[in-house]
Amino acid sequence: MTASGAPVSFGGTDRDQARHERLSRIWAPPPGVLGFFTAVNHRAVGLRFMVTAFVFFLLAGALAVAMRLQLTLPLLEVLSAEAYNQAFTMHGSVMMFLFVVPFVEGLAIYLVPLMIGAREMAFPRLNAFGYWVFLVAGISLFVAYLSGGAPDSGWYNYPPLTSRAFRPGTGIDFWVTMITFLEVSALVAAVEIVVTILKHRAPGLTLSRLPIFVWAMLATALMIIFAMPALVLTSLMLGLDRWTGTHFFNAAGGGDPFLWQHLFWFFGHPDVYIMLLPAIGVVSMIIPAFVRRALAGYTLVVVSIVIIALLSFGVWVHHMYTVGLAMVGLNFFAAASMMITIPSAIQIFAWITTIWNGRMERISTPMLYALGFIVLFIMGGITGIMIAAVPFNWQVHDTHFIVAHFHYTLIGGVVFPIFAAIYFWFPKFTGRMLDDRLGRWQFWLFVIGFNVTFLLMHVTGLEGMPRRVYTYFPGLGWDVWNVISTVGALVMGLSVLILLWNVVQSWRSGAAAGPDPWGAESLEWATTSPPANYNFLDVPIVRSRSPLWSVGPGSKQGALDDSEARPPWLDELAETPEPLRENIVTSVLTAEPEGRVVLPGPSPWPFWLAMALSVAFLGAVWTLLLVPVGLALAFVALVGWHWPARSGRRPEEHEAATEEAPTDSAPDATEDEGER
Amino acid sequence: MTVERIEKVFLILAGAMLVVFLLALFYSAFGMGMHLPDREGEIVPTEVRNTPPFDNPGVREVEPGRYEVVVLGRAWAFEPDEIRVPAGAEIDFISTATDVIHGFHVEGTRMNAMLIPGQITRMTYVFDEPGEHLIICHEFCGLGHHLMYGRVIVE
Repeated sequence: MTASGAPVSFGGTDRDQARHERLSRIWAPPPGVLGFFTAVNHRAVGLRFMVTAFVFFLLAGALAVAMRLQLTLPLLEVLSAEAYNQAFTMHGSVMMFLFVVPFVEGLAIYLVPLMIGAREMAFPRLNAFGYWVFLVAGISLFVAYLSGGAPDSGWYNYPPLTSRAFRPGTGIDFWVTMITFLEVSALVAAVEIVVTILKHRAPGLTLSRLPIFVWAMLATALMIIFAMPALVLTSLMLGLDRWTGTHFFNAAGGGDPFLWQHLFWFFGHPDVYIMLLPAIGVVSMIIPAFVRRALAGYTLVVVSIVIIALLSFGVWVHHMYTVGLAMVGLNFFAAASMMITIPSAIQIFAWITTIWNGRMERISTPMLYALGFIVLFIMGGITGIMIAAVPFNWQVHDTHFIVAHFHYTLIGGVVFPIFAAIYFWFPKFTGRMLDDRLGRWQFWLFVIGFNVTFLLMHVTGLEGMPRRVYTYFPGLGWDVWNVISTVGALVMGLSVLILLWNVVQSWRSGAAAGPDPWGAESLEWATTSPPANYNFLDVPIVRSRSPLWSVGPGSKQGALDDSEARPPWLDELAETPEPLRENIVTSVLTAEPEGRVVLPGPSPWPFWLAMALSVAFLGAVWTLLLVPVGLALAFVALVGWHWPARSGRRPEEHEAATEEAPTDSAPDATEDEGER
Repeated sequence: MTVERIEKVFLILAGAMLVVFLLALFYSAFGMGMHLPDREGEIVPTEVRNTPPFDNPGVREVEPGRYEVVVLGRAWAFEPDEIRVPAGAEIDFISTATDVIHGFHVEGTRMNAMLIPGQITRMTYVFDEPGEHLIICHEFCGLGHHLMYGRVIVE
C-alpha cells in the first residue's frame, strides 16, 4: 500500500540513501496475496479500517435513504414493517459500531505514529488482529439478513422486547454476539493507541507539545477502555438470557429490564463522546493549517477534552428520564448534562479565536467542512442543552426532535469532521489530492441536504411524531415536513456518491500532493506522501508545539534538522544493528529517550486468531457447542503467536537500555537490560 | 488582564441566565411540586391480569373530585384505549405493561412515562379544560408499534 522505492525527500546524502534502502527493506510490506493476510504495519491496518468502515457507512446510508422513502407520505408501503424495523436497527448499529468508531480508530492508527514521530504502533500484531475481528463482526451483522432476518429492536435493544420470548429468531443473537465481538476490536485498538502515545513519542515531544488530535485520541482510547466493557458485559448477559435461560433482564424471573438500560447507557453516552472527541481533534488540526496560526488556548482545549471525557461518564441517565427515578438523581444527571456544554463551548471559542487571529488565505474543502462543523455542532449543542432539562426532555422523549438533535451532533459534529479528515489527510494516505472543485460541490450539497432533512425534524418532533414508527396516519400535521425531509435525504445521498467518485477518481489519477500540501504544522507532514515504509528516515527531535513551523510556516527545518544541535547518541539509538523493526522508547511525560524496542514483523497469527474467535462467537448464534471448538482453535493460534522468533532470540534481548541518554554525551555502549 | 466591555456584558448576562435557570429548576421541583413518574411498586408481569387493580383496567372515582385510571400497555394497544375523565379533577394514572416496554405519552401534557414490565408507574395530573388528547406509545415495541394509539377525552 506504500511506495517502497520512493525517493527520500530530505537529506539526500549517500549515507541517507544507504539508510533509506536498508530501512525500506526492513519495513517492506509482505508481498502477494498471502502478504495481505500477514501485514501488520500501522499504515496498512489503519487504511483498511478506514476503507472498510466507509463501505459500512455507504450501506447504512442506503438503509437511511430507504427509511426516509418509507416515511415520505403517510401509509406508504415502500418497505414492509419488518424491513423498516430492521432498517432502523441496522442503520443505528452500523453507523455507531461499524462506521464512526472504527473509522476514527483507523485514522488514529494511521496518523498517531506519524504525528508523534514513531515508526510503528506499540503492538503491531494486536493491531492487525483488531482489524480482522472488526471485519468479521461487521460482515456477520449483515449476514443476519440472509439468516432469517436482521436484528429489529433498535440499536439499543431494550429487553424484554429482545428476549427469546418476543424475538425467537436469530437476528438479536447476531446483534448480541457481533457487538460483543466488535468491542474486542475497539478495546485492543484503544490499548494500542494509549501505549503508543505514552511510550513511543519522538524525543522532545512532551505531553504539552502533543498535537490536539493525539490528545483527543488518548482521551478517547481511555474512554473506550472504561466504557466498552459495560457493553460487552451487558450484551453477554442478554446472550445468556436468550441461550441458557438466565433471568438478568426477565422481570417474571426476578430480574430487571432496567438493568439493561443502565448498563447500556453507561456505555452509550460515553460512546457519543468517544465519537466526538476525535472529531474535535481533527478540527483542531485543520483550522490552524488553514489560518496559518497555532491553535489558541491549547492548554484550555486539552483540559476541556479531558473534562468532557470525565463528565461523559456522569450523564447516562438523561436517556432514561421517563422511566421513573428519584428527582434528586435526575437533577444530578441534568446538571452534569448541562455542565458538559462548558468545555464544549471552550473549544468552540478556541477555534473561533484561532480563525479570528489568523489569516485565511484560501478555503479548501477540509476547511469548509471544519467551518460547517462549528456551525452545526453549535446547533446540535443548543438542542442538547434543551433536552438536558428534565421537563423539556419529558415532552420530546423519543420523538423526531431527538432524532434531529442527535443527527446534528453526530452528522454535524462527527461526520463533517470525518469528511474534513478525508479531504485533509487523503494526500498523506495516497500521495494525491482530492479534487477541490468536486469537494466544494459535495460540501454544499451535503450541507443543504443535511439541513433540509433534519432541521424539519425538529418541527415534526415538536408536533409529536414519535421515533421508530414504520408509518403514520394522514392529517396529524406531519405530512408536508416529511416529504421535504425525504428530498433532503436524497440530496445527501447524491453528495456522498460524489465523495465516493472523488475518492476513487483521485486515488487513481489525482494531482500529486507532495509531502506537505497544506503547509501544516505537525510531524506527519514532514515525511513523504504516502510515507515511506519506515515513516521517518531520522528520528525527529521536537522543540515546539508546531514542529514544522518552528522556523516559519512551511519550513521543515525545525523538526528534522541535521544540524550540530542533533545529539549524536540519538542516531545510535535509532540505528538498527540488526535487520529488525524497531521503535524508539521515550519517557511518558517528557519524552526523553529511554531505549528502543524490537517489534514483530508480518505474522499470520492475528488473522488466524481472529478467525478462531469468530468460530466461537458466531457459533454461539446457532449452537453453544461451537464455542469450545472456537476457543480450542484460538488456543492453537495463541501458541503460534507466542512461539519464539525463528532466530532463536527473544525480541527483548535486543532492547538497549540507555538510561543516561538524555544527557548530551553519547552513551558508551548499548547495555542489555537482561530478561524481563 | 483587560476584559472588553462587551465581553463583561456577555459574562454577566450568561451568569444571570445560569442563576435564573437554576432557580427555576428548584422552584419547579420543590415549590410547584412537579414530580416525575413515580416508581410505585413492583408486580410480576405474568400475573398482571390477576393482580388488583390491573384485573380491571379503567376509570374509577375513588373519592369526589379524585379519579384513578388503571392503564395497561400491551403489544400493541392500551387498555382501555379510550379514557374519559372530567375536567378539573385530580387524576391518578396507575400503569404497567404486560409484555415488553411501552411508552405512555399523553400529548399536550407533561405526562410521559415508560411502562416497564414488572414496574408500576404512577402519575398525577389535572386536566383543566375539556378536549381530546392522543396517547402515543413512544417506546419501540415491535411490528405494531406505529398502531399503538389511545385517547384521553376530557369532558
